[in-house]
Amino acid sequence: MIANRPIRFIRSPSFSPLNLLRELTGLWHYRDLFYTLSVHRIKVRYKQSVLGLVWAILQPLALMLIYTVFFSVIAKVPSENVPYAVFAYAALLPWTYFSSALTNATSGLVNHSQLVTKVYFAREILPLTYVSAALFDFAVASLFLVGLFIYFRIGLTIYALWAIPILVVLTMLVTAFSLFFSVMQVRFRDVGVAMPLLLQVWMFASPVVYPLSAVPQRLRGVYTLNPLVGVIENFRRVVLQGVSPDFYSLGVSVLIAALLLPLSYLYFKRVEATMADII
Amino acid sequence: MIDLRLQGVSKKYRIRQESDAAGTSWLHRLFSFTRKEDFWALKDVSFEVRRGEALGIIGHNGAGKSTILKLLSRITTPSAGEIMINGRLSALIEVGSGFHPELTGRENIYLNGSILGMLRRDITQQFDSIVNFAELRQFIDTPAKRYSSGMYVRLGFSIAAHLNPDILLLDEVLAVGDAAFQQKCIERVLELKERGTTIVFISHDLRAVQKLCSRVILLSKGQIEADGDPAEIIALYQSSSYRLPTTRPLSDLGQKPTGEAVVTSLMFYDEHGNECLSFETGKPLTAVLKYKVSKPVDDVTFEVQFYPQEGPLRSFFSSRSIGTINLEPGEGSVVFDCSSIGLGPGVYFIDTGIRNRRAPHGVDVDWRRRCLAIRVDDTRYYLGTTFYMPYICRHSPSLSSEGSSVALSSPAATV
Repeated sequence: MIANRPIRFIRSPSFSPLNLLRELTGLWHYRDLFYTLSVHRIKVRYKQSVLGLVWAILQPLALMLIYTVFFSVIAKVPSENVPYAVFAYAALLPWTYFSSALTNATSGLVNHSQLVTKVYFAREILPLTYVSAALFDFAVASLFLVGLFIYFRIGLTIYALWAIPILVVLTMLVTAFSLFFSVMQVRFRDVGVAMPLLLQVWMFASPVVYPLSAVPQRLRGVYTLNPLVGVIENFRRVVLQGVSPDFYSLGVSVLIAALLLPLSYLYFKRVEATMADII
Repeated sequence: MIDLRLQGVSKKYRIRQESDAAGTSWLHRLFSFTRKEDFWALKDVSFEVRRGEALGIIGHNGAGKSTILKLLSRITTPSAGEIMINGRLSALIEVGSGFHPELTGRENIYLNGSILGMLRRDITQQFDSIVNFAELRQFIDTPAKRYSSGMYVRLGFSIAAHLNPDILLLDEVLAVGDAAFQQKCIERVLELKERGTTIVFISHDLRAVQKLCSRVILLSKGQIEADGDPAEIIALYQSSSYRLPTTRPLSDLGQKPTGEAVVTSLMFYDEHGNECLSFETGKPLTAVLKYKVSKPVDDVTFEVQFYPQEGPLRSFFSSRSIGTINLEPGEGSVVFDCSSIGLGPGVYFIDTGIRNRRAPHGVDVDWRRRCLAIRVDDTRYYLGTTFYMPYICRHSPSLSSEGSSVALSSPAATV
């Protein structure tokens, strides 16, 4: 018993890379909490609701129908030779994953202020569980995409496997933004208020309801700086078109994700040190 | 073995002075970095806790108690200094905050348990014990929102009580649930203590602190004011919290004092005539009560009563012993001389006042409840029972017939 008594030192916070790395590896201790909380998120969402898990599909499905009516039937937006409904749904999947994770994670810390001021655990667990719950919804909603594929007789190619690394990049982005905005919300409640508007703008700035090819060539450079462009466009490309991804836009996304993730983690840790005092 | 060491620990809070006064525009508020004030909740605090020790931390509100708790449980970080923790530490603080009303009791046990740092398999292992302790077997698959507040609290404590840490942080949580459950909680803590768990108990409940702790630290304004034996430190804390001028007259029975005369001061003196609030059993004590009369009042008594921390009146001084006193406008004093304090060690709260004996039940002319506290300590030859009987002891080295008969027939011990 004496042998496994851990000795711990608590000092005023240090943000050296070594320390952050130690914090990061320390996250492993919280795997049980991460798992339990993630399951909890999913369970709670569908408790006492009749449709339950169907809601995970219903949300992107409803958007798909609305967008199909407005952008395809009325505005005649091009959809690269596939039915617009599938075209929109294939992009709405990653987009819904991103936006629902971000929305929930942003309010996540503040909603748990009771917990944050009473118990210690690595606080990044909280936003991360929202990400994993959204990923779960993504998986459920993907089933419907499979249904659409069968209905419209669209076949997958080997390039569809690219969806997996693309999903990894997307998850990195989701995590980075979730960490950043959740902790921003602790300091400035404005973030939560602005979030719906921000996401609205963000969606139209990403190739969800229209293809990347519809963006004028001269704007493309700037446009691709939105890290979601490379992810969403390429997800649709490899799954729907069955061709290899556009490496330029994907590369930009990878770069930005690799840059933002450590930065947002650093920022998160900085605020976390005194989070209980200001939340 | 040192389980816990604080070295020069300070904690600074930045208070933002939020003012909605006219003239402070949002722009001003956004950029007004100058209006933040620093507040030191803890300043250069150092102490150690040995393995198996039960340390109590007491102090007024705002003294820094909860800041220490938050630092030890890592909820917030120190601004300076270092804390060393040797062992698994868990805090038993306001449990239940991790509950989700939509989840069942079972699901909440897993959720709350993992929040508190338990592994799922540990929870599974202790699941039955947790449920039994909380007395919730019947409702374990009911959503927590249907629980009564008592059930909520019981379940929360029960989970926390199964953490089995090396170091246990205790807040006011012992004041949860009904009396029977409270007793259970205290027993659980004592069990952990017996097992050698180091305990840090932060509380306002001085009686509980004295019962549980082997050492007490008194905090004041973010610094350690005293550190040592529980009874001593608690008495020091109490005597610093009860001073005559700061308490307002209060009637014992809710009756309004009639107010013809008031007690203006009450002082205690030791055998050397020094004003004093701490005494020793068996030593002399003098109480001097000063009063002021505004309207004449007949047949009054002056009283000084000694209450223990818990329980009924232990003893009192009364001017009844010298007969009737009639008061005329003016000032005066009453002296009570006690040659040998009969009170056992402990802290005693003082009630004092003037009573009118003419009125039925002795209506108060002036009454001050719990206006002072004095501390009585053991002497070398007297070791704590409830009260002290003055005696003198004689010893005869040889058992002559004369010596033994004296000892048996008439008590040789009197003062």
